[in-house]
Amino acid sequence: MSLLTDLLGMKPAPQGEPIVLVSGLPRSGTSMMMKMIEAGGIKVMEDGVRTPDIDNPKGYYEYERVKNLEKETDKSYLREARGKVIKIISFLLKDLPPDNDYRIIFMRRDLDEVLASQNKMLKHRNETDTSDDNAMREAYLNHIASVRIMSRKRQNWQTIEVRYEDTVKNPAATAATLNAFLGGKLNEKSMVAAVDAELYRNRKDKLK
Amino acid sequence: MFGFGKTVNVKIEKDLHARLVKIADVAGYATVDEFITQILEKEMLHFEDVKGDGDIRNKLKGLGYIS
Repeated sequence: MSLLTDLLGMKPAPQGEPIVLVSGLPRSGTSMMMKMIEAGGIKVMEDGVRTPDIDNPKGYYEYERVKNLEKETDKSYLREARGKVIKIISFLLKDLPPDNDYRIIFMRRDLDEVLASQNKMLKHRNETDTSDDNAMREAYLNHIASVRIMSRKRQNWQTIEVRYEDTVKNPAATAATLNAFLGGKLNEKSMVAAVDAELYRNRKDKLK
Repeated sequence: MFGFGKTVNVKIEKDLHARLVKIADVAGYATVDEFITQILEKEMLHFEDVKGDGDIRNKLKGLGYIS
């Protein structure tokens, strides 16, 4: 893209139906959001390889191959996600190919809650983790800032931030916001019903 | 499409503001606030104790979110 195009804010020609992309840090409510969007009427691109477990009793909604986005050069398979919704964690957004239009729902959640939930998940997976929570918190803050900067620069991205806590508290408001963002054809009632507040387990007020 | 968080007011010189408004318009930002926020976020990355991607990468691998 030329500097002139960039400066004038001119958007490139549309590249088929946009890919709805649910993103964010792991444990920030991305699976809940996938379930909401699916309930709203958008088909999910997933492969079912990662099955539900104690950390995600209602499923992960993942497509294994995207976990390799950093290393893989042929990313043309993502075109299959046009008109569908797919989950890609925010760390991999930088590796998205430019030949699609993206509507990105960027999930945000209190970082202490995210870290508490991630640490529990690591234990469940018997993974050793030597990282320091304070250092990780800073790293995640910087990562989020870099995603926001990227989002403004990429002409083929439209991004909206959604707070997990707000969605659990008021799913109807989030459903309405998302419906407007995604074209106004979603079933908001079903989206609201897809939110299970019982799964909001690592709450800041209950953390040590 | 940002702006979900709470905001505060920051004072800057009028002349500087006027110049920023002009550039924000030419560069295609929706508002001068959005333009200034981007500049500040970008600058902060230089000054904050930026931990390498390695920390995040290791954590995400452990969680099974990247290969």
